[in-house]
Amino acid sequence: MKISDVIIIGGGLAGLMAASVAANRRQKVTVLTYGSGSLPLASGAIDFLNTESPEAAIKNLPAHHPYKKIGVKNIDTAAKFFCHITSQANLIYNGKISAQIPIVTAVGTLKYSSLVPESMNATKLKSKKKIFVANVKGLKDFYASMLVDNLKKYFPDKTFEIAPLDLNLMGGRDITCLSAAQILTGNEKILADGLKKLNATEDDAIIIPPILGLEGNISRAEVKSQIRADIIETTCLPPSPPGIRLQRALMKYLQKSGVRFHENSKVIHGTAEGKKITGVIIGSGIREKFFPAKKIILATGGFYSGGLTMREFDNPKEPIFDLPVFFPTGAENWSNENLFGDKPQGFSMTGIFTNDNLNPVDENGKVLYENLHVIGANLGGVDFIHEHSAGGVAISSAHKAAMI
Amino acid sequence: MSDATKAIFTGDRCLSCTACMANCPVMAAIKEYRGPKLVGPAHGRMHFSQEDVEESLNYCSNCKSCDRACPAGVAVSTLNMLQRAEYYKKHKQLRHENMLAHGERMAKLIRKMPFGAKFANVGMNVGKFLGVFNALGLAGKRNMPAYASTSFKNLFPKIRQAPSNKKVVLFTGCYTNDNEPQVGEAFVKVMNANGCEVLIDEGFKCCGSPLVVTGFLDEARQNADNNVAKILNWKRKGIPVVTPCTSCSLMLKEEYYELFGEQEMREAAENVYDAFEFLEILQERGEFNENLKSLNQKLLYHVPCHLKSQAIGLPAANILEEIGGVKVQTADAGCCGISGNYGFHKDKYEISMKVGEKLFARVKKKDFDKVISDCGTCRMQIHHGTDIKPCHPIEILAEAYQ
Ligand SMILES: Cc1cc2nc3c(=O)[nH]c(=O)nc-3n(C[C@H](O)[C@H](O)[C@H](O)COP(=O)(O)OP(=O)(O)OC[C@H]3O[C@@H](n4cnc5c(N)ncnc54)[C@H](O)[C@@H]3O)c2cc1C
Ligand code: SF4
Ligand code: SF4
Repeated sequence: MKISDVIIIGGGLAGLMAASVAANRRQKVTVLTYGSGSLPLASGAIDFLNTESPEAAIKNLPAHHPYKKIGVKNIDTAAKFFCHITSQANLIYNGKISAQIPIVTAVGTLKYSSLVPESMNATKLKSKKKIFVANVKGLKDFYASMLVDNLKKYFPDKTFEIAPLDLNLMGGRDITCLSAAQILTGNEKILADGLKKLNATEDDAIIIPPILGLEGNISRAEVKSQIRADIIETTCLPPSPPGIRLQRALMKYLQKSGVRFHENSKVIHGTAEGKKITGVIIGSGIREKFFPAKKIILATGGFYSGGLTMREFDNPKEPIFDLPVFFPTGAENWSNENLFGDKPQGFSMTGIFTNDNLNPVDENGKVLYENLHVIGANLGGVDFIHEHSAGGVAISSAHKAAMI
Repeated sequence: MSDATKAIFTGDRCLSCTACMANCPVMAAIKEYRGPKLVGPAHGRMHFSQEDVEESLNYCSNCKSCDRACPAGVAVSTLNMLQRAEYYKKHKQLRHENMLAHGERMAKLIRKMPFGAKFANVGMNVGKFLGVFNALGLAGKRNMPAYASTSFKNLFPKIRQAPSNKKVVLFTGCYTNDNEPQVGEAFVKVMNANGCEVLIDEGFKCCGSPLVVTGFLDEARQNADNNVAKILNWKRKGIPVVTPCTSCSLMLKEEYYELFGEQEMREAAENVYDAFEFLEILQERGEFNENLKSLNQKLLYHVPCHLKSQAIGLPAANILEEIGGVKVQTADAGCCGISGNYGFHKDKYEISMKVGEKLFARVKKKDFDKVISDCGTCRMQIHHGTDIKPCHPIEILAEAYQ
């Protein structure tokens, strides 16, 4: 088999982004992935840090934080490149790393993020007079009245109206937002007709669950062309159409660029000559298969996706290359009682430590493999969930690793 | 692969992450299907212990897109097929289900008659015209696969091959044998060009894939036992079994074990290769014949679902790009929708065409010289949906060895 310029292990957000960047450099890229990663579950928004200006806050992070290794300038370039490639698949993202944009969650609270799909950008809510909230007949896990009750707390001066909407979703399975998005693809008229009846004007906004199709902006554009009010999608429980749109947009870019993408391909080992990885072996078929490469990017998603494992307590492993995994020692540092509290969780700081080139290092800071780069949720020294930085670290580490 | 790949042990690994549902083409096409997570792992756990029928299971096409999305190694589609078999223990298959499951038997009957294939093909057209198809429950809008006048196994003895101590056994698969023997001929030519003599084993039966999807699990098990014994015989002689059909190879390599869990199925699987997987291994060993004539062709490659599930990369694309002037572009348009005999059922026809829409649109762009796909029914579906007739990648390679 011909040697790849770069093999990316893992097809989640970090892996797809790294593949896009490398393909844009006209490299011969192969992606090996086992399972479709967390994008179909994710909100679609890319969080960088939960603060007014993530860009400013990054400067104050401790040196071991992945953002410090990537560098603010690179993070900014990554964010711009991300918006550029998603827009090529007709999926528009708004935002920049020096600001945050509000999003309405499924329960009507506001959440802030730096890169947000245009369809979810709720900035304009504050300038609206009246806010309609669609109550879609038969849709699971979306409660318009709860949403209104919560959102009123942010916007006490506005008029809210719950708008019953029958999209003819009944008569089959239980309908999630994914199902509704599937059913509405190519059938946008029924939604447009339903929304038209509200007679909403430019001064109004209509909040709907994320059901505007699964391909970029196509379904949304179709509906929007017939409605004067702004239509704003919320987040939802998984599976999440905005996450799936993002996954498909990135996949489209890879396909256009001739990237080889192999599913059901679980990497089990690497082969090395000294400090150089020469290739990887997949073991999910009936016989092992070797894929040679000049460079490897490890984007296997940390604990959540099997990139890191923990068979024994206090002894986390990286199963492919057996890289050292940093973790806070001692059970007392391991977690704090309040799982969803405001303090970081020790266990979620666990991960692989790197140098500024994202090469894995040992406890003395010595580089283990010169052509192996670690990205995304595998990286240690950061509690992604606590600081709201999972997406931002994923795309910026991916960009840096792929540009080296 | 670990022991834990036997399907019924995998259901408990389900994390309820819903990734499989996001990837299921049938769910995307219709709202009646409740989808892989619910039907396979969740419902499956109850179902094996008590009688409980999930009606919508009937919609699963066994395309395996769910398995490939799953991060936890749940054999979702096989769980579905096992449950379908449970259902058919208590319900009799309909006439058309029986027919579609037993293509091999039908073809044999027909070939026993003088001019059988010709009459059968005429009969199929007349039958279609008179609406017999619809009445039977077959998709009347579809052409049934036409029988070749001579099956590959009848043709094979007439092919002259140089004897060689390197041998491979060709597992023809029903479609190559009965409908497209030219694929078998191309296979022989390619193997000969690579110094391998091709053998045929008359004792092989249909791999059983059409039986499994229509709930004839006991019969599939008989075929599996028969084929596994034969494959192990060849294994003892050091002769690999190779097939150009990706659904057959998936069945022999992985699904037998997932379904039935016998250790010897695993051992047999180690001796089974997809045709291009085999050629790529030859290439890695430096034994691949690179004396290829330039062809100057742009090929659009529809990668069959059942190849994507095998974890062997894209060997056909890699090998064909060794031919001077050949450029392979993958279609990347998802499942073609036919999924074996699924799209031949009258009540599944519309679904199968809806699933295939993206691929048809991609093919209709016509920015290539030929469409290729390793799977016979994928090729039929593309032909039906676009009027453009694809070929097997091995036919292209055979051409380059001229
Ligand atoms: C429910 C949910 C909601 C989220 N919401 C947000 C949000 O609102 N904002 C935000 O910024 N981020 C969010 N995220 C995080 C974000 O989507 C990504 O999960 C995160 O950035 C990590 O990306 P990753 O690519 O490193 O890992 P993943 O997306 O987990 O991908 C890792 C991939 O590697 C594969 N893999 C693992 N081991 C192997 C192997 N041995 N061989 C081959 N492949 C392998 C996995 O199967 C998987 O496909 C959310 C995540 C989840 C789960
Ligand atoms: S095998 Fe195909 S049709 Fe059946 S559940 Fe899985 S993805 Fe859906
Ligand atoms: S993808 Fe796998 S783990 Fe996730 S819900 Fe489906 S079967 Fe369960």
